[in-house]
Amino acid sequence: MTSASPPAMLRGLFEGYETGNFFDEMFLPSGEPRPHYAKLYQMLALLRPEQFEDRRNLADIAFLLQGITFTVYSDGTGTERLFPFDLIPRILPYSDWTHIERGLTQRVIALNLFLQDVYGQQRILKERKIPRSLIYSCRHFHREMIGVEVPRGIYTHICGIDLVRDSKSGNFLVLEDNVRTPSGVSYVLENRQVMTRTFPEAFHSYEVRPVHHYPMELCRILRMLSPRGEANAQVVLLTPGIYNSAYFEHSFLAQQMGVELVEGRDLIVDAGVVYMKTIHGLQRVDVIYRRVDDDYLDPLVFRPESLMGVPGLMGAYRAGNVALANAVGNGIADDKAVCAYVPDFIRYYLGEEPVLGTVETYLCSRPDDLGYVLKHLPELVVKAVGESGGYGMLIGPASDAETIEKFRKKIQEDPRNYIAQPVIGLSRVPSYDVESKKMCGRHVDLRPYCLYDGQSVTIIPGGLTRVALQPGSLVVNSSQGGGSKDTWVLREDA
Amino acid sequence: MSTVMLSRIADSLFWLARYMERAEDTARILDVNYHMLLEQSATPYRLRWDPLITMAGEQQRFFQFYQEANAQTVYEFLAFRPDNPNSIVQCITKARENARTIRDRISREMWEDINGLYHSVTRFDPVEQISSGPHRLCDAVKFGSHRFFGVTDATLPHDEGWDFLKIGWSLERAEMTARLVDLQFQSLLETPFMVGTADNHQWMAMLKSVGAYEAYRRQYHSPIEPERVAEMLILHPKHPRSIRFSINELQAGLRAISGTNPGSYANEAERLTGRVLEGLRYDTVDDVFRRGLHIYLCDLLTNCRSIGDDIARTYFYYGAVA
Repeated sequence: MTSASPPAMLRGLFEGYETGNFFDEMFLPSGEPRPHYAKLYQMLALLRPEQFEDRRNLADIAFLLQGITFTVYSDGTGTERLFPFDLIPRILPYSDWTHIERGLTQRVIALNLFLQDVYGQQRILKERKIPRSLIYSCRHFHREMIGVEVPRGIYTHICGIDLVRDSKSGNFLVLEDNVRTPSGVSYVLENRQVMTRTFPEAFHSYEVRPVHHYPMELCRILRMLSPRGEANAQVVLLTPGIYNSAYFEHSFLAQQMGVELVEGRDLIVDAGVVYMKTIHGLQRVDVIYRRVDDDYLDPLVFRPESLMGVPGLMGAYRAGNVALANAVGNGIADDKAVCAYVPDFIRYYLGEEPVLGTVETYLCSRPDDLGYVLKHLPELVVKAVGESGGYGMLIGPASDAETIEKFRKKIQEDPRNYIAQPVIGLSRVPSYDVESKKMCGRHVDLRPYCLYDGQSVTIIPGGLTRVALQPGSLVVNSSQGGGSKDTWVLREDA
Repeated sequence: MSTVMLSRIADSLFWLARYMERAEDTARILDVNYHMLLEQSATPYRLRWDPLITMAGEQQRFFQFYQEANAQTVYEFLAFRPDNPNSIVQCITKARENARTIRDRISREMWEDINGLYHSVTRFDPVEQISSGPHRLCDAVKFGSHRFFGVTDATLPHDEGWDFLKIGWSLERAEMTARLVDLQFQSLLETPFMVGTADNHQWMAMLKSVGAYEAYRRQYHSPIEPERVAEMLILHPKHPRSIRFSINELQAGLRAISGTNPGSYANEAERLTGRVLEGLRYDTVDDVFRRGLHIYLCDLLTNCRSIGDDIARTYFYYGAVA
């Protein structure tokens, strides 16, 4: 052994902890805690397992009482499950965060410029920086939006950009953008609230940057969009309703912003103006933070069978009588194939080099890439371009031959619909394993939430750290046994 | 800044309060009668358990599931039965569902409280509970409901939302008390002024189930007389579960919503409420019995149903704009 034998140092809940071949956010390869984790490690190592379990129960009860649950349907009855919360926070030192923040700011502005361009002048298409066919074949491209002047030129009011930390380089890379209706920010705020209640002493030794200003900042931006001026802004949040898996978040944000939470049936369009139905008659609506997908917004324009939307809404939007956030048609910017061009957008629109790298992406629409992908399927992650939430995905190394062959067929039938990426060894953070009652390394990603007011980008420090709680799993989605962690951005480097 | 009240939200607040009140009233009635009937299981009373089912207006449904009404079946049906839409657990579930759809509009404390109550009553195991009796469940629901309305009082702005809750629970309470009085009298008053011991216990039970026993003793100092009991539960101006008190609250809530001045009305619900309340204010208990208690209460219940329909027509349904 050349380095000081690390495992012996790790005590208490950390006894026997292994960093493996991954970038561990808490421990150096030598086994020493990283400087910004040192104090937390000291504190946790002193806890007996039953003390730790106590804290866990406290946190679980808090989540249950607040109804932060999602519903699992089996044998005809719905049972409510908690979205698992892991008590070990993910800590980002100041310098890491400022780097991320610069990269995200640049990216959000470039995405907005791209959307302005595609639905406006189409300079980037005319100059052939991106194939026209790639744009026009995107399922989320909406012709209806061409030439529409969106309020203040903002398309991407709210973006959630998924980052992963590559174990090989230790660098943060962009995995994908979410510029339609990204969800999860309520967990960021709730996780922090529960964390400060269950582990108050941990906050004594750290200066953690607060996150609770998010709803206020969001509300400020929404009010700015009002066609009747900020002073008269009637803002509402449009939800698909109580059975939507993100319903908790919708009601949470509406309450925190102090705006009405409405369903499609609460709204009505008359002569190009949107109203809500109140006990004292109709009341005009100026700004809609909509958490309903484009396709369901207006049955007159999009899916005619949708009951979630409001007939005539698009007409009111195009006439400038109501503002929508995010804009309609944004899906073109987070199409997973278009995503590969974002670094080019940054160079093209901003004349800057991208601050953050991107996970290498093969576009199956390009013949060369397609050949490579089909040859290396068992090593790659393949994703359908228009899907999100872990749907329509193939994880090569974790799939059997039959699944791979099925996917091969799908790719060959519709190459435009697929992209592939190498499997990234996601970084790990120690997480409590319920079975062994010990800390174990678990893979994490990071989704920061960015708000854009047309001038500057506000990013709440940190974001949602999702963690794959199953041993060895790389999938962080809640439907696949994923959980989340509180994410701390420190005021200064330790 | 003017506040906005969506029709859908007003609807949910109204029903949230109604279901909560219904759960509490059912729990009160079940708790008191269950224990009273157990005490007297020796006396041959034919209709002993049936009135509880009739009260809930569920005879038909009940006899689809059970052969006879006894301690176990009535308890299971009123407390747990998922296919009885008015069982205690179903009422709490629906109250919570309503709260969930408007959780952005109620206080965080209200939501956490009702959500906690829901989780605690759904955790009761029916099989285990049926053998150990309903007291624990009923107590949990009764105090759960009190706590919820207390939390509501202390944390929710007393604006229109509050008024919709108020008209919900006062209308429900008026109906439940009317049904309770009607049924107890029907089953006990074949001969009005013969008060046997068994009956005496039942009158006591009725008073206890609306939490009015001690108040009755203080007010009348007399043995329990059916007329006095009826007076207390129907016409008493101050007792919080009397029909008059509840209708008075209902009127106050309706007026606060529409901003109507005393002496006039803005909609059919207010007109009917005013008319019912005038009767309750100026009738004596002798007037009630002269008209016939059953007819009097039936009229009242019919009016309550119309008021409920008119509230919905005025505030909840929304036609397309002309």
